[in-house]
Amino acid sequence: MSRAVAIAGVGQTKYLRRHAELSGAELVRQAVLRALRDADIDLDAIGLIVGGVAPDALAGVNHIDLSSIVRPGTPYFRVNTGGATGSSALLAATSWLRAGRCDAALVVALERMGHATTSQKVFNSIFDPIYEKDISLSTISMVAMRATMLMQEQGFTVDHWAGLAAKNSKSAQLNDTLDRPRLFTAADVLASPILAWPIHALEACPMSEGACVAVLMAQPLVGKRKVAWIQGAAGLTDTYAMGDRMRRPQGSLVDLHTLIRSAEKAYSQAGITRPAEQIDCVEIQAPFASAEAMAYLALRLCEARSGPRFADTLIAGTARVAVNPSGGPQAANPVSATALIRIAECALQVRGMAGLRQQDGIRRAVATGQGGATQFSTCVVLGSERP
Amino acid sequence: MPRCFVHGAGLRMGWADMQFSLPELIYQAVSAALEDSRRHIGEIDSVVLSAHDLVDGRSLSSMVTAPAAGAYLKEEIRLAEDGLAAVSLGSAQIEAGEAELSIVAAWGRASEGDHEHTSRAMLDPFMLQPFALDELSISSLRLSEWIARHGECRESRQRAVAARAGRAGRNSRSVQANVRPRVEFPLHASEAPRFADVAAAVILGRQESPVCITGVGHSAESGELGSRKLGAMRALREAVSRGLAASRTTIEQMHLLQLPGPTVPDEALALEVLDLAAPGEAFEMYASLAHINPSGGGESGWCFPTVGLLNFIECYLQLTGQAGDVQLADRQRAMALGVSPAGAQIAHAVVLEAA
Repeated sequence: MSRAVAIAGVGQTKYLRRHAELSGAELVRQAVLRALRDADIDLDAIGLIVGGVAPDALAGVNHIDLSSIVRPGTPYFRVNTGGATGSSALLAATSWLRAGRCDAALVVALERMGHATTSQKVFNSIFDPIYEKDISLSTISMVAMRATMLMQEQGFTVDHWAGLAAKNSKSAQLNDTLDRPRLFTAADVLASPILAWPIHALEACPMSEGACVAVLMAQPLVGKRKVAWIQGAAGLTDTYAMGDRMRRPQGSLVDLHTLIRSAEKAYSQAGITRPAEQIDCVEIQAPFASAEAMAYLALRLCEARSGPRFADTLIAGTARVAVNPSGGPQAANPVSATALIRIAECALQVRGMAGLRQQDGIRRAVATGQGGATQFSTCVVLGSERP
Repeated sequence: MPRCFVHGAGLRMGWADMQFSLPELIYQAVSAALEDSRRHIGEIDSVVLSAHDLVDGRSLSSMVTAPAAGAYLKEEIRLAEDGLAAVSLGSAQIEAGEAELSIVAAWGRASEGDHEHTSRAMLDPFMLQPFALDELSISSLRLSEWIARHGECRESRQRAVAARAGRAGRNSRSVQANVRPRVEFPLHASEAPRFADVAAAVILGRQESPVCITGVGHSAESGELGSRKLGAMRALREAVSRGLAASRTTIEQMHLLQLPGPTVPDEALALEVLDLAAPGEAFEMYASLAHINPSGGGESGWCFPTVGLLNFIECYLQLTGQAGDVQLADRQRAMALGVSPAGAQIAHAVVLEAA
């Protein structure tokens, strides 16, 4: 039987479009010191550092982690799974602790994409240069295609996308890691320019920089600390080719098969059989409203064909489960860190330390991660009770 | 805790073979590892990869390459790190009870990139790149520091070069092409590694097999070259020390040591760091110790980030008596080492034992 592992501390910088005054190492230092203080642990007690840095090209410096995250003398390796980097890094550190290799680890995710002059071109370089670039497949058009499928197949409308974006914008106002977050209504979203139909500009996540750090501890070290236990954690990888995922026995492109199976595994580990009743809070890695909507069914927060109705309750503020109380990635989306931020926010909610954005009675929270054209999915269940 | 065993290995080593794409090479290496382990892809429940976007030439390269490595509807994590770190993480998943059987794979296609450019791009753009440093020039600086203390030792260096070339020549897995990076004084061209296109894979599992992982060790040092003693190789020394402590063995008990290089001096000077050679005796010892890099080290084929996994595979082949013409007689215990840029700032060590 492997050891139980918990998140004992969280540290975050402000998430800004660009941190012009701070180097990568300075951002990391801020977040690390906050996380260590939160966990009440000394840096010398850390037996592993896992760095999370996604495509190097975004930072403009290759292997930026070597000068900003590495600590001399401490075991280190770097994870890169695109948008899922932060959660993949946490999964790797969890394995390390469960295997008994050390009692405490730091997961450090850093994003410096504000320094890229052409971030969209960098993102678009993930697509196949022969088959896909000629048809203008980009990160935006890929999302637009899925949003259209959700509208055709499940009954979502552009009003849902606008309403969800406005809901997240409102939640973001209480998030102290954001600097003057955008506040807008559904009408504002619909009035903003169209990027690729049906995606409006105000629905798209902003470019964001920052660092997020989590302190993980194995059970023997936890003591009386107020922690969020990792009750379940899983990740799954799919084929790259979206055409192969359009229609297959496991479902269509918008069924998020990898998230379904990741959630099944994580729920099973956590003993969750009725997610809609047993989960109190969800942080979904969704840079667009349609990406958030895709996850509802995959996480079994609602029944089949009731996705639009569930979205209506979220927009109206009457849903039992809190979805993206931080504002989610639509408020800030530092790519390398965003999946770890989702986990960190869930940990804060479970520990009752989320400040103004704290929701009532959160005993169990679920964080998702998505990377590489929704090819990589992760699901982490955190709870107040030790597994 | 469950122990982690090695069930099989697969390797594709070549140079500029336009018959196959990178995903095809990866697929071939992973298929060979599965075949060697007599396991089916359906039995695999975890995949740990090591690959670098800059080497592969596209952002988030594992989107395309991960499925070729067997990561289709399976748990998968990709490290941007030397392949030995992936071995270590894969074994942690098994020891933690999270996986029964894992694929660990690493690849790099040196023939499609410009090593000097990619290596330099990994260094600080303000403080280091203007000095035209790269991985090989760091090796030159390390050698310069050693020469300042011990003299040029031309003859012993030549003997070390000849020994490495002889071992690589006997190793049927060595790359055939003779393409080497440009090196700077005091390095000689013959001390540089031979570039290779590499796809390598191993199968790790919980079920007992002839080879077991008994210890891992890792360490790191500062990213600022100026604050490091290059010849001290602190990260490598600490990783080895931790790996030995975890396996409750000593360096003298190793029947085989696979060092990462990439140059002859990097491989040889590591012997002084690990107390296997007295100060000033590095090259003589490297030439005379047959159990140090019997594969031929960097001369048999070198490409970041595959080297640590290549070393691990060589150890596995030695311990199972499958190393061919470079097979050693004693084969109970071995250590594989791997390093990441720049100048071995990050180091990994894995101890293997015949079960």
